[in-house]
Amino acid sequence: MSMLDLVRVEFKLVYGDLFRRKSAFITFILYPYIFTSFTLFIGYAVGSPRGFVERVGVDPVVYMITASYMLMSIFSSIDDLLWRPLLDLHIGTLPYIIASPVNRLKYYTAIPIPRLVAVLLLGFTSILPVYILYYGLEGVAVVFVVISILIVGCLTMVFFSIALAMSIHRVGESWRMLNIVRPVLMILMGVYYPRMFMPLASYILSSFIPSSHAVEAVQRFLMGMSSDIYILIVLAIAISFIYMPIGKISIREWEKSRVRRGVETF
Amino acid sequence: MLKLFRRAYAIFKAYFMVELVRSRGIVYGLLSMAMWIILFTMPIALFSSDTIELGDVSARIFTGVIVFMFYGMATWDWAAEIRWMINEGRVDYYIASGAGFLPHYLGLLPVSLMWLGISLTVNYTVLSLLWAPPKLLLVDPLIFIYGFLMLLLCLIGYALILGGTMLSTGVTGFIIEIVSFILPIATGGLLPLRYMPEPLKSIALATPFSYPAELIRFSLLGIEPVVGVWRTVVLSLLYVPLFLLIGIIYFKYQLRRSLREGFKTISMW
Repeated sequence: MSMLDLVRVEFKLVYGDLFRRKSAFITFILYPYIFTSFTLFIGYAVGSPRGFVERVGVDPVVYMITASYMLMSIFSSIDDLLWRPLLDLHIGTLPYIIASPVNRLKYYTAIPIPRLVAVLLLGFTSILPVYILYYGLEGVAVVFVVISILIVGCLTMVFFSIALAMSIHRVGESWRMLNIVRPVLMILMGVYYPRMFMPLASYILSSFIPSSHAVEAVQRFLMGMSSDIYILIVLAIAISFIYMPIGKISIREWEKSRVRRGVETF
Repeated sequence: MLKLFRRAYAIFKAYFMVELVRSRGIVYGLLSMAMWIILFTMPIALFSSDTIELGDVSARIFTGVIVFMFYGMATWDWAAEIRWMINEGRVDYYIASGAGFLPHYLGLLPVSLMWLGISLTVNYTVLSLLWAPPKLLLVDPLIFIYGFLMLLLCLIGYALILGGTMLSTGVTGFIIEIVSFILPIATGGLLPLRYMPEPLKSIALATPFSYPAELIRFSLLGIEPVVGVWRTVVLSLLYVPLFLLIGIIYFKYQLRRSLREGFKTISMW
């Protein structure tokens, strides 16, 4: 199967599911607003928007809706990758995947691609109205820049997520582990608390996560510090390719471990 | 009565063993929760002015977390339990046994409260490490106990309404998740009402949740409820039992409807 065939199949799966389960679709659109109101509520309770603007240089509403959009976009594109092996294991399709002649790296790489269209859609429903409200028509251009950087950010997470998922699923109760790893990733990426304000050790650690550079690029763009954006994007792409061989090896090792254990029923 | 307690004890023992002793889930769950709290509370540093003490910031977050976790317990431990029962085919046995749902929830309640206690300890530790130990002042222990009991009754009423809706409509996890995020904000669970915008304050005051939440905050932070302490006590005493009664009637109605029409299919997520 070619990469195009795999992407086409994933498209059918993802969008069939998304349109069938309308409640999931609606909540997907609502989530950035919920997270934004949540963080703004807590923020305003202990401080002021003026303090935020003085520190960050961006209006808190614009910053938080962008942060929530980034959180949802990255989650929605990597979550399928993180959970799919476990889902295949539970519904019994894993033996078929292991036995199939499909190139596994291609197969797992194709999984998040359909979600990128959803990321685009989410951008139009979340940040677009807020940006237009704050920046006027110029906000439309800002939205396109943010979405473009973020799509690069989501794509750079593919190999990293493959390596992460296959490593985690080798231990017991891996779904619980994933629930710890997911927020840790978001903390380190600096989605809500920018990396540039983090201590040096955290900054260095976060640099190993490819999309953390894309997140920083978006934040710098909003803050009007556009000079380093290209470097950050190139860095994100370069780091993501380091994870390609690691991802390939981890898929092989994970499949081997499953074959050794035999077919399990849940 | 003895039969009821024996059944409740069996449930308690089973859930205690599975949730708190045998499974590593509690450790992972608490770690996960600590990480989510860090994620959403870290940006507070960007808002806080230099004049507010860190202990006060921490205390406000902690009281918000107490109420939020309490709501979460009602949503996920009690209401969503109905969903698991349907998914796992247990609900049929409960109905066939004639014991009803009461022993199940009587057994489950202490496990939920234990989990709440442990998770609040974890929260306290995380906030202490991240900011400063929450500066809590126990202004009035009696008001605290009263507020806590009223919130418990209120959330039982809410869990009955949500659980009843799940029984009859097969509502999905996405809806529950949205409800669990919106409800604490809209009903004044997360923030003192005096810091909320006027329209939201009015919405919160129209719900029974805001009164016990205001009393808990008053007893721990000393923040006076918007309608005054004693008026809040009286209003909660009138509103909360009424809400609980509505919850019971609604749940019974939905259960009867489900027995007539059969249970709707509920997706795992």
